[in-house]
Amino acid sequence: MVLPLLIVVLLACAALAGWASWFVVQDRAVILKQLIGAAVVEALVVVQAVVAGVLMVTRDHPVDGPLFWGYVATALVVLPIAAIWAFAERTRWSSVVLAVAALTVGFLDWRLWQIWGAA
Amino acid sequence: MADLGGGVSGTTPATAGGGRRTGTGFGRLLVTVYGILAFAAIGRSSYELATKFSEAPVAYSLSTLSAVVYVLATVALAKGGPRWRVVAWVTVGFEALGVLAVGAASAVSPDVFGETTVWSGFGQGYGYVPLVLPFVGLWWLWRTRPHGTHDAAPATPEPTEPTEPTGPTAPAAPDPEVR
Repeated sequence: MVLPLLIVVLLACAALAGWASWFVVQDRAVILKQLIGAAVVEALVVVQAVVAGVLMVTRDHPVDGPLFWGYVATALVVLPIAAIWAFAERTRWSSVVLAVAALTVGFLDWRLWQIWGAA
Repeated sequence: MADLGGGVSGTTPATAGGGRRTGTGFGRLLVTVYGILAFAAIGRSSYELATKFSEAPVAYSLSTLSAVVYVLATVALAKGGPRWRVVAWVTVGFEALGVLAVGAASAVSPDVFGETTVWSGFGQGYGYVPLVLPFVGLWWLWRTRPHGTHDAAPATPEPTEPTEPTGPTAPAAPDPEVR
């Protein structure tokens, strides 16, 4: 993993969570644009995972593989499912769900960074 | 945040069984948090089973059991029909007892299970979410309980009692194989 990419992902998660939280305050449900935002965050996490995989192979970076890829899998699964689940709700709770999911992905990404550096 | 949804405000339709939905309104968030915890528990237990099960079989069996229960609770709360409501009462009640029993056991004797589990230290490793969540879940099931005289769903968490994690995972009977 590389630090600039980590920062980009964390900022993207924070932005999505902030956007959804603003909707909570406004008593609005998740809109399509926010789902696109979630897709962007998801794509960034995929890019990050690919970069990590390449670094593991090319630089022989030591890492607890099963733990690391387990976290990657969880991080990739959370947002799409939560986004669909949130979009089905048409109250402000919809936005709460998206905000929680975005924060979760940010947290998982932070854990990935720790696991990456731990081994 | 006054409107908790879930049919309480009358904005969502009641389920076929006469109960109010457990997966909408505030329940939408509850199911989300349960789902995230379920994924966390699945990830943890698969990792433990795959890489180091023999190191602490009791702790890692407990992790697997909790993962299964979290998945069941998530599905039950999301579905929310009369039968699923019973499943929800049992699984959420089981979690409440599990986190209290394992949390208390780990407080008395930190290495009782050989390794930490999701429920060790009352869910400390997960920001105490495993401690808070089942009680929120029980409150939500109670709040959305069906009205009427002949509802299938029980209105109290008593049915969860027999599923208390005694037996193989009982903290009172330390397994000599642990550690």
